[in-house]
Amino acid sequence: MSASQSAVRSRAEAVKVSRTFDWMITFTLFFVILGGYHVHFMLTGGDWDFWTDWKDRRLWVTVLPIVGITFPAAVQSILWYRYRLPFGAILAVLGLLFGEWVNRYLNFWGWTYFPVNFVFPSNFMPGAIVLDVILMLSNSMVLTAVLGGLAYGLLFYPGNWPIIAPLHVPVEYNGMMMTLADLQGYHYVRTGTPEYIRMVEKGTLRTFGKDVAPVSAFFSGFVSIIIYFLWHFFGRWFGSTAFVKAA
Amino acid sequence: MKILKDKVTKLSFVALLMAVTAAMVYTPTASAHGEKSQAAFMRMRTIHWFDLNWSKEVLAVNDTMTISGKFHVFAGWPETVDKPDISFLNIGIPGPVFIRAGSWIGGQLVPRSVSLELGETYEFKVLLKARRPGDWHVHTMMNVKGGGPIIGPGKWVTVTGSMSSFTNPITTLTGETIDLETYNLSNVYFWHAFWYALGLAWLAYWARKPMFIPRLIAVESGKADSLITPTDKKVALAFGVGAIAIVAMSMSTTNQRYPVTTPLQAGLLRGMKPIEMPATTIAVKVDDATYRVPGRAMQMTLTVTNNGDSAVRLGEFNTAGVRFLDSKVAEDTTGYPDDLLAEEGLTVSDNSPLAPGQTRTIQVTASDAAWEVYRLADLIYDPDSRFAGLLFFYDEAGNRQMVMVDSSLIPTFT
Repeated sequence: MSASQSAVRSRAEAVKVSRTFDWMITFTLFFVILGGYHVHFMLTGGDWDFWTDWKDRRLWVTVLPIVGITFPAAVQSILWYRYRLPFGAILAVLGLLFGEWVNRYLNFWGWTYFPVNFVFPSNFMPGAIVLDVILMLSNSMVLTAVLGGLAYGLLFYPGNWPIIAPLHVPVEYNGMMMTLADLQGYHYVRTGTPEYIRMVEKGTLRTFGKDVAPVSAFFSGFVSIIIYFLWHFFGRWFGSTAFVKAA
Repeated sequence: MKILKDKVTKLSFVALLMAVTAAMVYTPTASAHGEKSQAAFMRMRTIHWFDLNWSKEVLAVNDTMTISGKFHVFAGWPETVDKPDISFLNIGIPGPVFIRAGSWIGGQLVPRSVSLELGETYEFKVLLKARRPGDWHVHTMMNVKGGGPIIGPGKWVTVTGSMSSFTNPITTLTGETIDLETYNLSNVYFWHAFWYALGLAWLAYWARKPMFIPRLIAVESGKADSLITPTDKKVALAFGVGAIAIVAMSMSTTNQRYPVTTPLQAGLLRGMKPIEMPATTIAVKVDDATYRVPGRAMQMTLTVTNNGDSAVRLGEFNTAGVRFLDSKVAEDTTGYPDDLLAEEGLTVSDNSPLAPGQTRTIQVTASDAAWEVYRLADLIYDPDSRFAGLLFFYDEAGNRQMVMVDSSLIPTFT
């Protein structure tokens, strides 16, 4: 067979090869994204995602969507502009959550015995779905960044509230009031994570009384717009093909 | 080539077998957590733990024990370590093998960080509830922001029973009693599984059709728009609107189910109450201090003046949690960890009672293998080659006085 001849001999065979290729690429892509996104997220989101007593209404809400919209934006740009496949954000988040759950279950619980109800990961899926849907319906990177980025920030807190709300029920403990999440952080000893490195409820956002989470979510959404643009172009660059000219 | 490949395969298989066998035969438990590796000057010149008591050495899962005692915050705190303005009374254990059911400094609960004053002595207590069976080295520990964890003495404690029987019942302010060990777990699993399934459903919708090669060809030939059908758009709209609706509804039902929630609690606790220490009537001046490397002994020349009204004798030198005792004057009755206790490790050139008003220059030698075992001798390689410690003097009635000493340490190698 010469280089100019086709590797397949019939249309049926071509379809079969194409589908095989689809599954191979999807499988590989899933784990490659999982690895990259997971490392990135552990380094940037870190403790905010590890522990329930870090999941506050100010910084957790602000930081996590900003550092979390990165890979979805990049993967979206590759899959959409080269293949018109609108599942970049969801694929990235599926990978991240799979990796996070393996990590939390095997490492945090399996090796060090922190209860899973203290170390579960944050949920990014509502934002990812909306991000993919907006890109698909609008076919516009700008609109996806502005509307999708904002939605990614805004949906994060309400998307997680059904999971964390039970842990925000107050408890009186030896004369002090704390939430059940605070109590988890106190009870389940973390030798290397002293209380003072916990970055919660810090900042100067005090003029909105108790309604801080929506303001933080809006701010997070605005920054997510910028981060979306940035990582979208990373994705484009990463997904570009460059041919070397023959000598 | 084939022979080479076969050899590599064979050797790899043998290596794998050896690794598995070695792992099965030799699986030691990690028995410490770096307490000996911490710079000696940090252990000797920051927090001095004393009068420590571990209430139990063996306990069953769900049983409680306390670690109590005192710590002195050294006034000559090293420049290279941040001051303990923001500190946290922790416990050095390998993960949550116990839960910290309570911790107090000066009688105040300290679930958060505290501010400590240099030169003050504080009483503390940590209440632990056994969770995981095993032999655990349980250390006192103070985390200092900008300084890191300052680990104190540790003692082996055995926990018996089964972790599956561990419970952590808590009654909330809304009157509900829950087990914090498993509380909310099914809710966490449910929502994560639900959203994950939704994501997978979206992926499956697109994976039904050919994905990469045909779509790439279509996009590159300018037919990208033909790849998204009106049905695709309707499905996408349903997913998008559905996701937002689910978020809104689930948030609303959650708020109905949990009408009382509060934000996470945080903030520094100031004003920790130190112990009112009796005024020291003994003045000690360190004339010189040397560490003899081959003999594993530290020698101090001290000029001691007794300004009190009863005769005293030097009974103990305590540094970095290692206690050097003169057995004729003081003995340990608390079950202090053996490796940290040199029961006859303190030699005093003249330890006859020092009468009131009298001044005497004495040679004090603190010698024990602990200098090497606990790597305190490494002080000479530290950036701040000074030692500090607590001297305990006793009068005839058994009353004790604590005096802090601090000086340069000169190593001798012969």
